[in-house]
Amino acid sequence: MTGTPASVGRPALTRRRALTAALGAGAAVLGAGALSGCGSALAAGDSTVRLWDLFSGADGGLLNDMVREARPDMPGTRIERTVLEWGTPYYTKLAMASAGGRGPDVAIAHMSRLAGYAPTGLVDPWDLDLLAEFGVRKSDFADAVWSRTQYEGRTYAIPLDTHPFIVFFHPEPVKKAGLLTKDGTLDADAFSSPDTFLAAGRELAKASGKQGIAFGYATDTAQGWRLFYGLYRQTGGAFTLPAGGPAEVDVDRMAEVIAFMAKLVDGRTNPKRLDYAAGLASFTNGQTAMILSGEWELGTFRAADKNVGAAPMPTVFGTPAVYADSHSFVLPHREHPDEDHRRRTHQAIAALLKAGQIWATAGHIPAYEPITRTPEYAALLPQEHYKSAADHVVLDPAVWFAGAGSDFQNAMSQVLQQALLDGLAPDRAARAMVRRLNTFLAKPSPA
Amino acid sequence: MSSPHASPRPGLPALRRLFSPGLLFALPFLVLFAVFMVWPLGQGLWMSLTDRALSAHAPSFIGLDNFTEAFRDAEMWRALGHTVWFTVLSTVPLVVVALGMALLVHTGLPGQWVWRLAFFAPYLLPVGVVGLLWIWLYQPDLGLYNHLLDALGLTQYAWLSDESVAMWAIALTTLWWTVGFNFLLYLAALQSVPDHLYEAAAIDGAGAWRRLWSITLPQLSRITVVITVLQVLASLKVFDQVYLMTKGGPNNSTRPVVEYVYDVGFTGYRLGYASAISYIFFALVVLASAAQFFALRRREK
Repeated sequence: MTGTPASVGRPALTRRRALTAALGAGAAVLGAGALSGCGSALAAGDSTVRLWDLFSGADGGLLNDMVREARPDMPGTRIERTVLEWGTPYYTKLAMASAGGRGPDVAIAHMSRLAGYAPTGLVDPWDLDLLAEFGVRKSDFADAVWSRTQYEGRTYAIPLDTHPFIVFFHPEPVKKAGLLTKDGTLDADAFSSPDTFLAAGRELAKASGKQGIAFGYATDTAQGWRLFYGLYRQTGGAFTLPAGGPAEVDVDRMAEVIAFMAKLVDGRTNPKRLDYAAGLASFTNGQTAMILSGEWELGTFRAADKNVGAAPMPTVFGTPAVYADSHSFVLPHREHPDEDHRRRTHQAIAALLKAGQIWATAGHIPAYEPITRTPEYAALLPQEHYKSAADHVVLDPAVWFAGAGSDFQNAMSQVLQQALLDGLAPDRAARAMVRRLNTFLAKPSPA
Repeated sequence: MSSPHASPRPGLPALRRLFSPGLLFALPFLVLFAVFMVWPLGQGLWMSLTDRALSAHAPSFIGLDNFTEAFRDAEMWRALGHTVWFTVLSTVPLVVVALGMALLVHTGLPGQWVWRLAFFAPYLLPVGVVGLLWIWLYQPDLGLYNHLLDALGLTQYAWLSDESVAMWAIALTTLWWTVGFNFLLYLAALQSVPDHLYEAAAIDGAGAWRRLWSITLPQLSRITVVITVLQVLASLKVFDQVYLMTKGGPNNSTRPVVEYVYDVGFTGYRLGYASAISYIFFALVVLASAAQFFALRRREK
C-alpha cells in the first residue's frame, strides 16, 4: 500500500490520495497494536500466572492486596487476575475452558464442586512435594476440609478459606435477653434444642422490641438448602447418595428439621417472608436481633454495627455440624503442562496462602491454619469467635450434581421454600426432596 | 476477487454452465450456511447419539439412549408445556393488540407520528434493557405496578415470584417489547388497502363499523396469517427474557424448553442429552410448521 502522506499545499491532493493516506495510517496503527498484543502474550507465557476468580467488590480488593503482600515469596512472578461474575455461568466457563485445554493456569472453585470436576478430568492434581518445598503441607489444613480435596488418592484442590453459614447478632439486645456469656460470646446452650432455640427467638424479639431472628430465603437458590443441610447433619441422620440411587436418607429426621425451620420463620417472633436482600436489611437496620447468614456478609453487617457479634451455627440437634463451603485453588486441565510454569504456579499459590491474614479481615476463615494460630488473627473480632466452625464443617454431598451454584441446590431450596412459605407439610416436603434427589441420582454422571 | 465479467468468453461454456453466475453469487452465502448451519446441525445430531459431556473424556456412542431418556423425562415435558403455554399467552395478544393499535393509528388519531414512534420504539430495545427495566417495574415492594395497584386499592402481586402469575408477567413484558413489529406490518397492510373500496362502500351508505367488518378485516386476512405464523415461531424460541427475569423460576414454573436445554447442557454438562432434547424440540417445531403450511395451502385452494 502506498502510504506516503500527501503534503499539504501540493496541488495533487485528490480525494483518492487522501483516502489512501488515511488507510495507510490506519493499517499502521492496527499493525502496531497487533504486534504489542503478541508481545504481552509472550510475556504471559513466561512469568505470569493467570488466575480466574469470582471475587468482585471488597473481596476482590483484598485479593489484590494479598497478591501484593505475596510478591516477596514469589520473586519474578506476576499474578494476572481475571474476575468473572459469580454464579452458575462461572462453572460453565471454567469447564469449557478446561475441557478445551485453554483454561487459566489456576482458578478459584468452590470445594463443593470438585466432585463434578476431578472425575471428569477437568482439573489436574496438585504436586504436594512441590508445595511442601514452598512451605505448605497437608498438616496445615483442617481434616474436615482437606478430606474433600482428595480424589483417587490425589489432591485436586488447595483450600484458600472456609466460609461457614453462621449466626450474627447485635450484642445489645442479645445481652438484654440474657443470651450472652460473661466474656461476650453467644450462649450456645440457650440454642441447643429446637424448643430452646425458638424460645430464645421469642426473648430476642422482646429485647429488640420488634422481631427476633432473620433468615432470608424466599426465591433464593441456595439459602434454604444451606440452613437445612447443616441442621440435618446435626441430627446424625445418614445422607448417602450412591451412584444410580436411590438415596439413603432418614426421612423422619429430614421432616423434623423442616418442621423446625418452618416454626423458625413463623412470622410472629421472626419475620416470615424475607428474601436474601430483605433479610440483610432487616438485620442491619435493627428490626431483628440476630440473623442466620453466611460469614461473607460480615463486611455489610460491620458497616451497620461495628460491634456486631458472631458465633458458629448453634448445635440444635445434638451433633456439632456447620454448613460451609470453601474457596479453593484448582489447576485447570492441560494436555501438556509446562513443568517450570507449574512450579511457578505452585509457588505463587503457596505465597498467596501465607498472605491469608488479609483474607481473614473479610470474615473468611483462612484454610491455612498457621494463619489462624497467630495472635494477629486472635485479635480479629468477631472472626475469632466463629473460627471453631471450621472443625465441624459439612460441605455439600460429594456428588457430581451438587455444590455451589448447582441446579441441585436450587431444586432443594425450592421444595424447602414451599414448606416454609406455602405450608407444605414437613413430611411431604421431605419426601419431595428425596424424589428430586433420586431423579438427580438416576441421571448418568458426565464423568 | 475474480468475479465473472459480463463480456462472454468463448471456450469455457461447460465451466460456465457448471458455475452459473447465480450460483457464484449465492456461493458466499452457501459457504456460511454450510459452515454455520449444516455442519453444526450434523454435529448436534451426532452428539445426541453419544454421551458427550463437558469433560476431558472422549465421548462414546450410545445409540438412542438419550432419546429414550428424554421421552421419559417429566421435566422436559413440563418445560415443553411451558413453551407452548407461553406461545399461546403471547401470540394471541401480540396479534390482537397490534391490530387494534394499527387501526387506531390508521383511522386518524391526532399526532400519528408520535403514536407510530411510541408503539414501535420498545421493539428497538435490546432484550437486556427490557429485562432489567421490567424487573424494576415488577418489584414487589417498590415497583411501579404494585404501587399503582396499591393506589387503586387492589391486591398486589409478587409478579415474578408467584408461580401462578410469573408466566403472565413475562408474556406481558413480551407484549410490550415486540408488539411494535406486528403493529408496523399491520399498518403497512392497512395503507395498501385500495381507497376505492371505501369510496364505493361510502356511496352505498356503509358506516364506519360496516366498512371495518366488510372491507378492512377481510383485506387484512393474508397479513394476519403471516403475522401469526411469524409470531408462533418467534414465541416458541422464547429464552432470553425468561432467563433474564426469572431464570426459569419460581420452582421452574416459567422455564421454557430452550432454557432446559441450556440448563442440562451448560450447567449440567450433559451436552449429548441436551442435543437430544433440542432435536426433539426441533422435530416438534417442524411438525407445527408443516401443519401450518398445509392448513394454509388448503385455504388458498
